[in-house]
Amino acid sequence: MPPSPDSATREVAYALAVRTALTEEMRRDERVFVMGEDVAVYGGVYGATRGLLDQFGEKRVLDTPISEAAIAGMAAGAALGGLRPVAEIMYCDFLSIALDAIANNAAKLRYMSGGQLALPLVIRTSAGGQAYAAQHSQSLEAWVAHIPGLKVVMPGTCADARGLLKSAIRDPDPVVVIEHKVLYQTRGPMPADEVLEPIGVAKVTRPGDAVTLVSWSRLAGVCLEAANELAAEGTEAEVIDLRTLLPMDADTVLASVRKTGRLVVAHEAVTYGGFGGEVVAELTERAWGDLKAAPVRVGSRFAPVPFAEPLESHVLAGKDDIIAAVRGVV
Amino acid sequence: MPTGPFTDELLGLYEDMLRVRFFEEKLDKEIFPSGLIRGLTHLYIGQEAAGVGVIRALEPQDYVLSTHRGHGHCLVRGSPPARIFAEILGRRDGLCRGKGGSMHLCDMNTNFVGANPIVGANIPIGAGLAFASKYLDEGRVAAVFFGEGAMNTGAFHETSNLAALWRLPLVLICENNRYAISVSVERSSAVTELAERAACYNIWREEVDGMRVWKVIEAARRAVEACRTHQQPVLLVCNTYRFVGHYTKDTLRYRPAEEATEVFREHDPIHLAEQELADTCEVPMEQLVDLRDRIRREIDEAAESAKQSEPPPVEWALEDVYAPQP
Repeated sequence: MPPSPDSATREVAYALAVRTALTEEMRRDERVFVMGEDVAVYGGVYGATRGLLDQFGEKRVLDTPISEAAIAGMAAGAALGGLRPVAEIMYCDFLSIALDAIANNAAKLRYMSGGQLALPLVIRTSAGGQAYAAQHSQSLEAWVAHIPGLKVVMPGTCADARGLLKSAIRDPDPVVVIEHKVLYQTRGPMPADEVLEPIGVAKVTRPGDAVTLVSWSRLAGVCLEAANELAAEGTEAEVIDLRTLLPMDADTVLASVRKTGRLVVAHEAVTYGGFGGEVVAELTERAWGDLKAAPVRVGSRFAPVPFAEPLESHVLAGKDDIIAAVRGVV
Repeated sequence: MPTGPFTDELLGLYEDMLRVRFFEEKLDKEIFPSGLIRGLTHLYIGQEAAGVGVIRALEPQDYVLSTHRGHGHCLVRGSPPARIFAEILGRRDGLCRGKGGSMHLCDMNTNFVGANPIVGANIPIGAGLAFASKYLDEGRVAAVFFGEGAMNTGAFHETSNLAALWRLPLVLICENNRYAISVSVERSSAVTELAERAACYNIWREEVDGMRVWKVIEAARRAVEACRTHQQPVLLVCNTYRFVGHYTKDTLRYRPAEEATEVFREHDPIHLAEQELADTCEVPMEQLVDLRDRIRREIDEAAESAKQSEPPPVEWALEDVYAPQP
């Protein structure tokens, strides 16, 4: 690990931050185990579980067959049986196959049983586009953020990839942790100490007074870059990394919007029907009197994610879209 | 009074079956027609021997998972009939505080993890419970009931493969009642020898006459023993029949009326057990009649008690979505 100028943090890859959380929580609690496709011997297609098999053995680090319905259903059952499963669904596109176990069962069994059942499980998966085309590039957080009984987090930094996953593993409810496949190999600061990032708490990552810029996952970092460019034009954007979609920390966004009077929400998912619409609706209802301009959503265009680079760049939301949207409201 | 291990056991199984039959008849003939039940219910009439025989072969610490047709399993596992009635009626004293209803019964006092009306969904969940039991070295098995329709789901095949691969203590019980709602097993399954469908996963399997409860319990004991001792999944196919519709409003136009009449005449599990008790065990008919009267009274009283229970307060609607805040 290269030493960081700030001794309280070290610079690591996002995948290592994930692995750090898993290692720490598996050391802390014997009931935590990891299962999924290629997570054991291979160490995960992005290296997020590398080394866990050697450290914790095959009882607690399990390669599964390509059986997403069974992986998610078994994770729910293992949680009911007193364990703390961390199941990986390699790409969130494959959630389609696991969704019955997640949305119809894990999310609802506590409720349907009148509180008799507990399902402390984590589903780790990845979103985001990077040259894998339509079936391995989607950002499908809206699928799960719509379901009562689930919690949904989308870490955009190394510190959050570790801290939110740790909280998710300790959480008494099913948590879907959506990581970002482009971020896995990017580096960033992570606290040297074990820090738990609370679920359901947004973070103001840059102060500003001209516009509130809300995002999550990879685009939360892109928003910071956009804000720096906008600052050169004299527009100071307040950037908020929502971090948790369900439950959403609307209060933090509200406080900012009351101050700035303007709201832009950016995500990599398709704009139409995306979670950005929910953020805009919630804030419009609660901050109507404070708004100086109509809130704006930034998201990917309404098409499957294409393969060829110019097409992919055209479809996926990025920094230029965010800057253009901010210019449009200030 | 004739006794002996076989007679005593069969009397107990007969009593269990009567309780299920009378419970379901109470719903079918009285409570449902009176309009007290919202939605619909799926009755277990005709399949009693399968559930009773299997559940009585399990230990109290074992997990039981059921289907949309789960009243019988829940009863045999030991939940108070009044609390099951109350749940089906949507009352506050129901097992699930009135939030589950007929299709989502659950009672962790008896390790009845619950009814699950998404066909096949309970199979991987059962495997997860079996995994937890093995991981924690608890010696429990997870017993999952499903119909023959569930054998065509991906969840069944994915889980069978994985449970066999990981040697999970999972007891798969297929109650083949011959119809998945309206589609017969012949019209839904390329291989109708259902037990053989576990062959490609190298799973221990057996098929049994699911109308003779003493045969079911024998086969179930073999299956549970093989599962618990060798830590491996097993499949028991109980061939049975539902004498009533898929649900309480079923028009039954997919099968000839004579079919049910004929199966009922020849293979009613209650009647078969009675015959066995009378002929082989020489239990006097008066004893059986007394037993029937007692169970019927018990069910009548349970239903009356459930009807006295109040509807749940509306505040409960938003409770239990998540774990209580610490």
